[in-house]
Amino acid sequence: MKLLTKLTLTSTLSKIATVILFIILLPVLIDRVAFQSTNRLLKQQAKKVMTNIQTNGIDYYLQGDSTYGSYTLLREEYISLERAKHIYSPDTIQTAQRIIEGDTVMYRILNQAFEYNDQLYELEIGKTIASISQYNGPLQRIALYVLGLLTILTLLTDISFTRILLKPLQTIIQTKLINPVFPFKEIPSPIRTTTIDFKYLDNSLIELMKRIKEDFDREREFTSNASHELMTPIGILQTKMENLLLLNDLDETAMEKIMEMMKTLNRLKKIVHSLLLISRIENDQYARQDTIQPGRMIGEIIQELTHRLEDKNIRMTVVLQPLVTLRKMNHDLLFQLFYNLINNAIRYNKQDGGIHISDTLTVDGSYTVSIRDTGIGIDPSDIDTIFNRFRKKNTDGEGYGLGLSIVKSIADYHGIKLKVVSEVGTGTTVSVIFSSVA
Amino acid sequence: MKVLIIEDERGMALEMEDFLVKAGYLCDLAFTAKQARQLMEESPYDFILLDLGLPDKDGLLVLEDAKKSCPEASYIILTARGKLEDRIKGLDLGADDYLPKPFSLLELQSRMQAISRRKSGLKGNLVALGDFTVNLNTRMISYGDADIDLSKKEFDLLSYMLLNKNRPLTRMQLSEHIWGSFSDDDYDSNYIDVHIKNIRKKLTEHGTVEWLQTIRGVGYKIKL
Repeated sequence: MKLLTKLTLTSTLSKIATVILFIILLPVLIDRVAFQSTNRLLKQQAKKVMTNIQTNGIDYYLQGDSTYGSYTLLREEYISLERAKHIYSPDTIQTAQRIIEGDTVMYRILNQAFEYNDQLYELEIGKTIASISQYNGPLQRIALYVLGLLTILTLLTDISFTRILLKPLQTIIQTKLINPVFPFKEIPSPIRTTTIDFKYLDNSLIELMKRIKEDFDREREFTSNASHELMTPIGILQTKMENLLLLNDLDETAMEKIMEMMKTLNRLKKIVHSLLLISRIENDQYARQDTIQPGRMIGEIIQELTHRLEDKNIRMTVVLQPLVTLRKMNHDLLFQLFYNLINNAIRYNKQDGGIHISDTLTVDGSYTVSIRDTGIGIDPSDIDTIFNRFRKKNTDGEGYGLGLSIVKSIADYHGIKLKVVSEVGTGTTVSVIFSSVA
Repeated sequence: MKVLIIEDERGMALEMEDFLVKAGYLCDLAFTAKQARQLMEESPYDFILLDLGLPDKDGLLVLEDAKKSCPEASYIILTARGKLEDRIKGLDLGADDYLPKPFSLLELQSRMQAISRRKSGLKGNLVALGDFTVNLNTRMISYGDADIDLSKKEFDLLSYMLLNKNRPLTRMQLSEHIWGSFSDDDYDSNYIDVHIKNIRKKLTEHGTVEWLQTIRGVGYKIKL
């Protein structure tokens, strides 16, 4: 999941949780607030009654009677004052039922006892519960609307702000990881951001790129030097042997020995060549700018290998689509790749065997050239290691175990995938898969 | 033919000189760019074989200067660095050919002869081979009026041996010439035998080919 989505989701969920919690608690809270303010109101009213009694005397209410009672028109509030012999519940506020004119109504009731002229009185003031809770419903609804609106608003600002905050991450990925083509010609400049974490990431990546570039440049330098240091002595030996062979007074044994030496030297030369080739490919020293027609190239290779095909009497069938072109390739390297694969198909084939080269072009634009032979095959357990350097299973004195390593390096260099399917005794099919033929 | 060998590895330079002198060239040696400049100022050369890895000056700059003082000469670049850019730059600067080290002396001479042939034009490239006549430009071999049909590889092989006549050539040297860097000695030497057999068969229909000798265990030689 994307970080932006995750952050948005987290903030949405937490907001929703808060809102739900608030909505659940709201009635309780409102009730509490309503009761408290009712209590206060009742106390104030009681105080007012007491003040009236203090200033105007008890008869202000009683007017000679032993009780006084009054209620509002809709019986929302009532007041009663009466003489009392005992005080049962002095100074309480409670919720209780009262029957007024035949109706049973729930009231919040304040009871207060007091003494006036040595006589005990009890004052009771009540307020209906219904009138207390009358605003709960609308309040809850309004709260819900306001909260909902606020949640959506904050969510929108959250998303756009997170987007802005995360933008440098996008830029870092784009400029440091996606855009740079290996090997790096130049290191991209640091991005502008005030987020320390992103700065840290950006700088770390720049450091890493610098290190890779340095290693890479060193490697390139090394390949060039190694090539010189190895090839020069081989060259001197080769010319010396060639001149030796030209001496007139050589006997047959001497000549044969010189020839053996030349063969060995040649082998050394080939190994060094191959290793340097792999090293140069991995070091990006080849341009990828050629446009290639695989059909034509494979035709040339087969021409080149005719003598080997004839020697084993191998039947070669090639069914390739004529109009396919591969762009951004290195001609020589791709030639080498197909050459090595076809050469192997011949080398590890049986006498009178066959090789079938075909291609497929899929809808998604990938293009596959398959080389199928009727050779000795590869053991399933060995398939994963056939591309390793100096790995050769069928030692019959041929090859140096570098042919397929070269193939692998060239494939990797061009973003070509290789697939090997093989059965011992039946043959091997190597598929060369080009991801997109534009 | 005068050849200037500019090569800082003495061992290499001396072997090249040894070989080319035997092949009938006059050779001067220069181990540094400075020596080379002095020699070029003193006399003109037909061939300048230039190693790019000189100690005192970048080989490509040497080539640039040399082209000014010795414009008539043919240049072959020799290098062990094997950088692709060097090769392209070298040929851009007017080098006639490029040989990566290590190279075979036979290959060097064959390249030199190819350049000479190219520069001298189409005329006078008929070489007698016993009773046969080889035209190196049209790549035809004939016996009297009869043209003999050799395959491309067979002709390559024959003309290479002809260029290196009176020298024993190993199967490996021959296959390396024919198949270049793709040659595979254990594998391809046998085909040299097959090709030689075919050449012999095609030619003996017209005349004798005693000049094409087999050197047991080694290879072949054209003895003229």
